Amino acid sequence: MEKGGQMEIWVFAEQRGGELHKVSLELLGKAKELASKGGRVTAVLPGHDVKAISRSLINHGADRVLLADDPRLGIYRIIPYSLLLGGMIQDHRPDIFLMGATAMGVELAPRVAAKVKTGLSAHCIDLSLDSQGRLLQVVPGWGGGVVATVSCPEHRPQMATVMPGAMKALPPKEREGEIFEVAVELPDENLGPEVIEITQEKPQGLPLEKAEVVVAGGWGIGSRENWQLIQELASLLGGAVGATRPPVDEGWALEGQMIGQSGKTIRPRLYIGIGISGVMHHVVGMEGSDHIIAINSDPNAEIFETADVIVVEDFKKIIPPLIREIKNRLKKQGSSD
Amino acid sequence: MDFRFSEREEMLRKSVREFAENEIPPKMEAMEKTGDFPAELLKPMADLGIMGVITPPEYGGVGLGYVARTIALEELGRVCGAMPMALQVHHMGCAVINDFGTEEQKKKYLVPLAKGETMGVVAVTDPTGGSDVVGMKTSAELRGDKYILNGRKCFITNSHNSDFWVVIARTAEGAKGLSAFIVEKDFPGAKLGRKENKFGLRGANTGELAFDDCEVPKENLLGQEGGGLAAAIKTISETGRTGMAATALGILTAAYEEAAKFASERPLYGKPIAALQAIQFYIAEIYSQLEICRLLCYRASWLKDNDMRCDNEAALAKYYTCEAAANAAKKAVEIHGSYGIMREYAVQRLLRDAMVTIPAGGTAEIAKVLLARAALAPFKKQK
Amino acid sequence: MKRIIVCVKPVPDPKHWGRVSMDPDTMTLRREVIPSIVNPLDKHAIEAGLSVRDSFGGEVVLLSMAPPSAQPLLREGLAMGADRAVLLSDPVFAGSDTLATSLILAAGCRYIGDFDLIFLGNMSIDGSTAQVCSQLAELLGLPNVMHVTGLSWTNEGKVIITRKIENGFSKLVGIPPLVLSVRKELNKPRYVPFTGILAAESKEIRVLSNNDLKIDPSQIGLAGSPTKMAGLEIRRFERKRERLEGSPEEIVRKLMDKIYQIGVI
Repeated sequence: MEKGGQMEIWVFAEQRGGELHKVSLELLGKAKELASKGGRVTAVLPGHDVKAISRSLINHGADRVLLADDPRLGIYRIIPYSLLLGGMIQDHRPDIFLMGATAMGVELAPRVAAKVKTGLSAHCIDLSLDSQGRLLQVVPGWGGGVVATVSCPEHRPQMATVMPGAMKALPPKEREGEIFEVAVELPDENLGPEVIEITQEKPQGLPLEKAEVVVAGGWGIGSRENWQLIQELASLLGGAVGATRPPVDEGWALEGQMIGQSGKTIRPRLYIGIGISGVMHHVVGMEGSDHIIAINSDPNAEIFETADVIVVEDFKKIIPPLIREIKNRLKKQGSSD
Repeated sequence: MDFRFSEREEMLRKSVREFAENEIPPKMEAMEKTGDFPAELLKPMADLGIMGVITPPEYGGVGLGYVARTIALEELGRVCGAMPMALQVHHMGCAVINDFGTEEQKKKYLVPLAKGETMGVVAVTDPTGGSDVVGMKTSAELRGDKYILNGRKCFITNSHNSDFWVVIARTAEGAKGLSAFIVEKDFPGAKLGRKENKFGLRGANTGELAFDDCEVPKENLLGQEGGGLAAAIKTISETGRTGMAATALGILTAAYEEAAKFASERPLYGKPIAALQAIQFYIAEIYSQLEICRLLCYRASWLKDNDMRCDNEAALAKYYTCEAAANAAKKAVEIHGSYGIMREYAVQRLLRDAMVTIPAGGTAEIAKVLLARAALAPFKKQK
Repeated sequence: MKRIIVCVKPVPDPKHWGRVSMDPDTMTLRREVIPSIVNPLDKHAIEAGLSVRDSFGGEVVLLSMAPPSAQPLLREGLAMGADRAVLLSDPVFAGSDTLATSLILAAGCRYIGDFDLIFLGNMSIDGSTAQVCSQLAELLGLPNVMHVTGLSWTNEGKVIITRKIENGFSKLVGIPPLVLSVRKELNKPRYVPFTGILAAESKEIRVLSNNDLKIDPSQIGLAGSPTKMAGLEIRRFERKRERLEGSPEEIVRKLMDKIYQIGVI
């Protein structure tokens, strides 16, 4: 704890098109907790015409906001962003700098760390301080099978990217906080590749094996009409539809959508199994999924043995409201672009 | 002696394994359903080098030889037995033309085979049966500058997937009266007969060829007139039997892997069934046979690559590996319990496929006759 | 195109990850029981390099920092069609974190010299840090783009890069030299052809030590790495089996949180 015991903790406020990524609020929550024994939480907010976000950052735990407003920062590009952050770190010498492990954070954080020659841990799932006030960073490796605790004893800032969802945001409340506008000095050229187009939509109709999300249904779906719920949920999540043998035999699903011993083997980020009992021939095809959510009204369904999240309920009471919720969420995201 | 595979051979194996694991499974359901070979894989397999693995580079192949071929066939067979079955016959077609063909014939026929534009076929078996080659009836009569073929060939692998076939037919009486011909399917009087409906190795087509006053130009005689029996025997006993052995070896490997994997995962009384000694004995037996058969298969191929006699060794490898594959597949089905008889599980296919390797390319009995002859030869008294 | 460098990392084969154990004394993983493979995404990087070369000429050079035992894996990349390989191998490199690794790779890139593009896999399956692309680029003073899913070229030699972002894609236009790390959607890596295996046997794998690269030893290896391992634990893979309780409305709300946390919406 340098500088007279006041620990300076920075959180990168990630926004695209003026919309703040939720992970930044989660990081503020964590930073506030880390600062509870004496420290200040600073949100670093680069962008253009994004001052309005500052209020939300403060209400979620930032003691101050360093706002870097410049047209050249309007759309994220790695060179101007890393030059800016590197310069700010050199000027202000924070102890800790946290960023979300998002597409942007994963690219930007290592570049900043290399610029200021400090350590960086990736995709952290937990953060804490040791007795000497050093940041302990818990990182998964080997597909989550190995968990390492990493520290950065000699170099500052201690940098980490953190998995979205791993930390909890504080409930917002009206708080006091300062907003400083940082002078932005950037070269006029050599700012790297220029962004010419941004498409904000999920790719549709990915083949089952390549889809990041698979929504699979089984015999329990009951009818062709109900099967449309499976299709709708899959398409909202930008995923593919999978099936066990019975829906294929019934003609609700296609042969090529079958998962398991005689069908396809999938390893999506998220598998949602609905109305599936979970016999071995199906499970072998999906057990490699990163996350498994199973919904079945039978509390003894075998699939629950292989699930991370278990919902014992009639899917007809869960899926339609879930679809509505996701639509609302997507609408909200769409309107802010 | 050196029993290790070279770095080159290990890379070959890795390359085929990756190809087989990615490209074949999506085709297997259709293969099981229709019994047809996935012709769309010919070109990718040619690009990889499998189609021309024994064909010399001057005729479009890669000329790596028989150990390399056995590695490729084993790896394909580990995923799907029908693939090496079809390919090993394809290689027989390549070998017989390479061994007995003229320069013109090699240029004309070996190149498209190596490029995967068509598949090799060797048609020996008459409806009278395959084991009695000399008894065949299919005839070829020289009229002017053409041979006229009449007769039928049955149980012919790749029959319906090829543009031309190497056909053995009778040009004169007796064992010295057989000759080999390259017959294009578009020659007048050449016909495709029925397709067989096998219960195993379903993706490898088997069917009939019919010749009804079929006109074959004189230059399509392969080798010498009267040399047909020798060509057929050399091709079957060297290329064919090593190929059938490699096919069965792939199935055997799959049976071992399926059995060991299931036994390690399937819980019973709170432990995987692999903890039960009864299951361990099964696995040990399958594993021992796999290791033995590997040695037999690669020894025969190595002898062939080194231009040494390999007919007895190939017969031994073929006979023993096919039996072992069937035995291992049966045990693997048993280890799976009720799951073993479900279409969802691979082991039932392995059992069906392994059974089909036994009569294919020379029955077990023929192999045993050959082996007995070899075994008794040192003790035979001159009369 | 003059030269394309593709960075390749040997990683433990995930098929055997269940067998990994830890040495409690050194707090390192006992990796030697697990066979190595080329990091799967690196094959997509090699394919990217080869297809650029096949269209525009030049040579593809593989670059790896690894023990000498990695040579067969580099040979595999050469069999795919790369022209030559450079292996950076020295005991002083051992224990390098991503920053130290990037410093070593940057020295390797300078040694090779005269390149237009550097391709990497977006992340390695073992460490999954995805940090080397940006750090290598920073140390070389070049722009970089990660998460690349598409590449095309304009007549003026500019490259149009499509890259994945949350809920979509963005397109960028850049001018080489560039450092690009690729996702699997970019291409389908070619299989290793038998002819390639034969050709690779006479291709060069140059092994360089720090005598060749002359990096300040205090900047690399365990000692030169800013991050230190403070603890290591092997987690046997088990499903969480967390049951969501409550009324359907509550369950839906909890499900929404879960789906969000997984990062798919």
